[in-house]
Amino acid sequence: MPPAILGPYTRTILTAAIIAAALGFSFTYARLSVYTELMPFFEWMETTWFGYVGKTWGAAFATIQAGHLIGLAVLGGCVIVSDGRLLGVLLTDVPHRKVIDRADRVFFWALITLLATGVFMACGVAMKIYYLPVYWYKMLALGAGILFHYYVRRPLVAHEIESINPIILKMTAIASILVWFLVAATGRWIGFSG
Amino acid sequence: MSEENQTAADDQTTGSAELKDAQTSALVTASTFIIFSAIYWFFQIQSVRELLELAYG
Repeated sequence: MPPAILGPYTRTILTAAIIAAALGFSFTYARLSVYTELMPFFEWMETTWFGYVGKTWGAAFATIQAGHLIGLAVLGGCVIVSDGRLLGVLLTDVPHRKVIDRADRVFFWALITLLATGVFMACGVAMKIYYLPVYWYKMLALGAGILFHYYVRRPLVAHEIESINPIILKMTAIASILVWFLVAATGRWIGFSG
Repeated sequence: MSEENQTAADDQTTGSAELKDAQTSALVTASTFIIFSAIYWFFQIQSVRELLELAYG
């Protein structure tokens, strides 16, 4: 979007609008109509090839779930290393840029692994997760995490780290850790529900 | 001012504006996440304390 339309604070305005929309959607009845309309999609998911394999072949589900957990562990590692470096508590003898760029590359592939294995697992237990409130919390946290990482955190750390306000940098690192830990926690919560 | 100097000055201004925008958006989002987490965990801990009081007095 050309910056001229929203002025010099395009990213800030869009970010605030997305946060307002997400909060409005989550805490009003707007979500209920979407929730009802999504039911046929989840029913269809169970009838797909992934759904049949996930439901009938326990070993396949368990193997894919192992990949999902490894992806989550790698992603968590990237977040801890990268944000730990921004907070000045980890790898302080390695330049910021090197840690952030390398962690970001691994983060991308870990996220792809998580999404791919997550879709397979969701097909196998589609109707179970449809009725679990925590699954929707996880999706909200995951969406927030992905948007935060690629639309807020990444453009910020693309600048020279020394030129960024240190308080904002540390707040960004803490927020990043919080949101990805919430994704992991809600993921495990799904495992303990139903 | 030569054309090259003018371009360099324009680039610097654009870079500075982009940094300000990126910092403000990060501040807004990070504050929202941190405040939301603080409120959420406060009520979670409160709820667990009440449950423990009910169970053990």
